[in-house]
Amino acid sequence: MMAALALVLRLGLGGLLILAGVLKLRAPVAFATEIANYQLFPAVAPYVAAVLPVLELVVGGALVVAPRAWRRAAALGALGMLATFTVAVASAYFRRINIDCGCFGTGGGPITGLTLVRNVVLMTAAATIVAAERD
Amino acid sequence: MFATLLGRAFCLVLAGSALGLAVNAARRDGIRFTKFAPPTTCGAGEAAPAPAASPVEVLPPTAAVSVCGDAQTLVADVRPAGEFAQGHVTGAIHLPCASSDSAASAAVDRLAGRHTLVVYGDGTDDAKVVADELRRRGGRADLRIVVIEGGFSAWSHAGLACSSGPCTECTK
Repeated sequence: MMAALALVLRLGLGGLLILAGVLKLRAPVAFATEIANYQLFPAVAPYVAAVLPVLELVVGGALVVAPRAWRRAAALGALGMLATFTVAVASAYFRRINIDCGCFGTGGGPITGLTLVRNVVLMTAAATIVAAERD
Repeated sequence: MFATLLGRAFCLVLAGSALGLAVNAARRDGIRFTKFAPPTTCGAGEAAPAPAASPVEVLPPTAAVSVCGDAQTLVADVRPAGEFAQGHVTGAIHLPCASSDSAASAAVDRLAGRHTLVVYGDGTDDAKVVADELRRRGGRADLRIVVIEGGFSAWSHAGLACSSGPCTECTK
C-alpha cells in the first residue's frame, strides 16, 4: 500500500517538476524578471533563473527513474526546493505584492492563497516519499 | 544514514545547479548576468528596429477598466517597486522598466498569446514611454496597447474595484 502511494507520488511530483523545468526554460530572461519581482534578493534573480529550471529537471528526473536511494535524496531535494518556493510565495502574498507566481514559467497567473496551499500539498508529497522510500 | 541521504541530496542539487549554469551559458538566449537589470527604474530605452505596430491608445480609467478583466489582457505597472507594493491594479505585473535589453525582452516574452496590453504609471507620460518602447520592440500589429490616462492615482480616484493592496482612496 505504502509502496503504491510512494510510486504515485513520485511519478506525480517528478512529472510536475519536469514540466515546470521545461516551461521555465522557454523564456529564461522573462523568468529572471519574475523572480526579481518577488523583491527578495533581486541581485541573485538571474542566477536563480539560470539554475532552477535544470535543477527541477534533474530532481524531477531522479524522482522518476533513479534507484531507490537516489529517489529518496531527490525527494529531500524537492522538499528543500518547495520549502524555499513556499517562503517566497508566502512573502509576496502577505506583503500583498500582486505578481505572477512564475511557478511554471511566465504567464502562470498571480499568487493567491491557492498557490500557497498547492505548495504545502507538494511539500507533504515530497516528505511522504522521503519517509516511504526508506530502506 | 541521514548523512548519506543529505550527501546524495546535496550532490543532486550541486549537479543540477552546475548543469543549469552550463546550459544557460550555452544558450544564445540565455541570461547574461552582467547585463540583467532587475525591474526597478524607468528610463529612455534603446529602440530596436521593428515592423509596423498598432499605435498606443490613451484611455481614461473608466474606459480602460473594460479591458483589464480580460484573460487575454496583460496589465503592467511601470511605477517603482515601493509604490507597486502599496497598491496596484489587480493582476498587474510589475514591469517598471523597458530601458534595458533584458527587461524589454522579458516584457515582449510576456505578451505572447495576449491581445491587449494595459500600461499605467504615476501619470500618463511615464507609462507612455514604456508602452511605446514595448510597441516598438514587440512589433505586433494585432496587439492593442492602452495607457491609462492619469496613471494609478486617477484609477484610484475613480474608485475602481480592480485595485489591490493598501489603497486608502479605493472604494472597494
